[in-house]
Amino acid sequence: MNSPTESDKPCSSAMRDRCELDENLEILRNVPAFSAIPLQNLRLYAYLSRRRCYRAGEFLFHQGDMDDCGYIVVSGTARVLRELKDCSIFLNELKEGEFFGGLALFSDIRRLFSVRAVTDVECLTLDRESFRRMLLQFPDVSLKVLDIMIKRIVQMEEKLFQACPDVCML
Amino acid sequence: MITKKPLFSWVLERHRALQLLLFLLILLTIFLRVFPLEMQKRIVNTAIAFRKIDVLLVYCGLYLAAVVSAGALKYLINVLQGFIGQRILLDLRTRLYDHILNLPLPFFRRTPPGMVISSLTSELSAVGEFLGGALAVPLINVLTLLTFAAYLAHLNPLLALISFSIYPAEILIIPILQKRFNLLNQRRIDVTRSMSNVIGEAISGMHEIHGNAGHRLESLKLGGFAASLFHIRHRMNIFKFLTKFVNNFFQSLGPFVLFLLGGYLTIQGRLDLGALVAFLSAYEKLYDPWKELMDYYQGLQDSKVRYRQVMEYFDERPDFELLPAEDRKPYDLEGPISVTDLTYQAEGRVRILDQVSLDIQRGEQLAIVGQSGSGKSTLAMIIGQLYSYTSGHVTIGGRELKTLTKYDVSHNIGYVAQHPFIFDGTILENVLYASKSLDRSFVGGDELPGRGEILGVLENVGLSEDILRMGMDSTLSRERHEQLARELLSVRGAFMERWKVEPAGLVDFFDENHFQYHLSVGENITFGSSEREGFQTAQLAGNPQFRRFLEDEGIMPSLVELGAEIALQTVSLLEGLEQDAYFFRLSPIEPQELDQFKDIAERMTRSEKEEWSGQDKRAILSLALRFRPALHKMASLSPAFEESILRTRRRFREKMSREDPHAFAFYRPSEYLFSQSILNNVLFGHPKSNRPDEAERIRQRVVDLLKDRGLLEEVMEAGLEFRVGSKGDRLSGGQKQKIAIARVLLKRPHILIFDEATASLDNASQNRIQALIHYGLRGKSTLISVVHRLEMVRDYDQIAVMKAGKIVEIGQYEELTSRKGLFYELAHGIG
Repeated sequence: MNSPTESDKPCSSAMRDRCELDENLEILRNVPAFSAIPLQNLRLYAYLSRRRCYRAGEFLFHQGDMDDCGYIVVSGTARVLRELKDCSIFLNELKEGEFFGGLALFSDIRRLFSVRAVTDVECLTLDRESFRRMLLQFPDVSLKVLDIMIKRIVQMEEKLFQACPDVCML
Repeated sequence: MITKKPLFSWVLERHRALQLLLFLLILLTIFLRVFPLEMQKRIVNTAIAFRKIDVLLVYCGLYLAAVVSAGALKYLINVLQGFIGQRILLDLRTRLYDHILNLPLPFFRRTPPGMVISSLTSELSAVGEFLGGALAVPLINVLTLLTFAAYLAHLNPLLALISFSIYPAEILIIPILQKRFNLLNQRRIDVTRSMSNVIGEAISGMHEIHGNAGHRLESLKLGGFAASLFHIRHRMNIFKFLTKFVNNFFQSLGPFVLFLLGGYLTIQGRLDLGALVAFLSAYEKLYDPWKELMDYYQGLQDSKVRYRQVMEYFDERPDFELLPAEDRKPYDLEGPISVTDLTYQAEGRVRILDQVSLDIQRGEQLAIVGQSGSGKSTLAMIIGQLYSYTSGHVTIGGRELKTLTKYDVSHNIGYVAQHPFIFDGTILENVLYASKSLDRSFVGGDELPGRGEILGVLENVGLSEDILRMGMDSTLSRERHEQLARELLSVRGAFMERWKVEPAGLVDFFDENHFQYHLSVGENITFGSSEREGFQTAQLAGNPQFRRFLEDEGIMPSLVELGAEIALQTVSLLEGLEQDAYFFRLSPIEPQELDQFKDIAERMTRSEKEEWSGQDKRAILSLALRFRPALHKMASLSPAFEESILRTRRRFREKMSREDPHAFAFYRPSEYLFSQSILNNVLFGHPKSNRPDEAERIRQRVVDLLKDRGLLEEVMEAGLEFRVGSKGDRLSGGQKQKIAIARVLLKRPHILIFDEATASLDNASQNRIQALIHYGLRGKSTLISVVHRLEMVRDYDQIAVMKAGKIVEIGQYEELTSRKGLFYELAHGIG
């Protein structure tokens, strides 16, 4: 797995010994939400996903944003925050291999939470249009994908809200 | 109606002059066929018998002339016959297609596209070929037969009578055999279909077969059909060859009788030798026309079946006329729309709409709501004349909708479907589709909207940003955009000026000492572009000079290896997805090339690298040169490889400036790069990050500069030339929907019908269209909108609530809410 390189260039676009497709595939295979998808299909997901890099302190997205991607942390750590009127609450920490924000793959929704990079973070992202094209193109795998995805996303979001401590309650 | 026309009406009604010419040629050719026989007789009886050389020469000359001109005439007849056939086919095909286009929508719900395609192509082709000779062939052959018969009778009535007695027997026997053959043939088609089903099922359930060792079971299933196919085929052969045998038998029976009887008569001195020779020759000549008649008989049977099948399939009446019978301009219908006791029954007598009544004033905005299946879409489609109605009335401006032509309706009503269809072509062609259709329908139609209006409407539906983006990503052509290119160069200067320091981290500038991940490998080597034939980036792999250069530099083996890797990976990844261009956005192989590379990949895995053909190597070299590391994920370049590419780049520049200094324009800050997008030209590089927010920031800066210089419209115009791919595959669902709305708005219709037209848009775009409807269009167009999301209906003048094909409530928002009826329940998710 890639570690962040020089600080001004958190991820260089090439200079890999393996091609990006294989690397992406390896990452997806280790994420439970995707690992059950047949390999030939998963290669297409790997092919349609894109890398994004964030510097420490940057927001990946803000609560209330319209964003159309699901994210997997490739390297680094990020924090999930719920932003309230006067303060924000720390909900959870996202580490390498974690999948989040997947609800945006299904519909055009506003983000329920913010995510902020703690260290330099590299993510693998998949956008809604690509996700939908895959569902349409492979209807027999679609139901399975939907089923697993939704279960995983619910688990993930449940975990987020369980972690919510009782500070800042009015 | 076209589908009621008998097969032969196509031959008899059209091209009569040509048919007459054909007939005359046939008469002539028949004469020329008999003439040599007479010569033959005279050569034997007169020239040879009396040993007259000069007469022999004359007769032989005449013989040759007759035979050659008969051949030439036959050639002419064939060409003419083919021509008539193709003309009839052209006519038949276009008229049938026009008819099919006009058929009601429900017809297409139950008709697979493949059926229409095969009907219009292969089935009709066979019919057309037959029709070309439908008159000529029987005529020519029957006349030939009769003429020969008459000639034979003239030579010797007795012999003629005996030799003809064979034919009636044949005419009796052969159709019987043919009938049996036809029946078997029909059964063969049925069995073959069933067998295909068994095979198809076995293939899709292969894992079940392997899992359960079901091989024997499946093999038995197939075996049954294969065995009956064997029996049928075998019996078909029996009849086929029996027919042949009968035919041959009777044909050879003829000469037998003639030799026997004719020989006897000649020996007896009652028949001269010349007459016998002529008789035998003439008799043999009967065979060809007879055979052609038999073929004609089979062709006729076949064409009749095909024609009947095709025509019966499309034998349905269009619901509406396309154009008015009299020559007039389309009616201007602005409203009011009045619906009275409207009922629509689908097949199976279900009443999808049941006694619906409704009045919409001119300029009014009506929302139709209700659960799925309540009939709201059907009502909208009927008012848009997409369906006809069973009973009741719909009037627009006092005219009954049923009596209006498509052309009247299209002139006045703009209908946007929930899942609109986008045609292959550019965005511009798609947004002008409705306006152009009207323009084509009648002479002196409205003028097509100009650039300003098009961009205005695209702005209104929220497509401007997308179009601008497509424009910035498009490349210009040196011929058409010289002026714009020059202006963009000055924008480049301004960008450098204003953002001198900062973009260093954001933009990957074109720099001759660095490998550029956003450029293709080919561009990385040449680091320039050329207008010269053979030197353009896409043609480099085909240029022997360039290939030799790569060989000399020693970089060729690595490039071929890279190309092979890309081909193998991409083919295995995208095989079977050729229909959806979306999947090819990140691929160096285009959808239409996939098959070619699939074959190449197969050949490559089968053989050693040294054995690869030059052609295959060129193809994969071109793939390697197209490879863009930042975009294409299926391969990677090692640092050493990148170094050697940079080395080759320097050598290439040296070589070119030495040998052919004008062939290449190298990437220089003072040159517009026609191989690069507008955005990259302004940046003189490529945005580094693929994060949308960062790329957007840079893009916005470029947009600001373009706006300052008044170049936005020019760039957007380039964006309108974006090719959307088949079915609009290269667009997102929202973009397609917006284009569909734009194309209807550009038509400026008096009445708009939106059938959940904003359902696939994101919230922001939905609100934008909503605002456009309620502020931009209010008072200008009457609007009927089928709405799924109830929070959208507040601003409508009337809301009709439908349930089970009836309007159960109608009124304004407050009124319906306070009534606490079905609307209230729907809005609050009760029930």
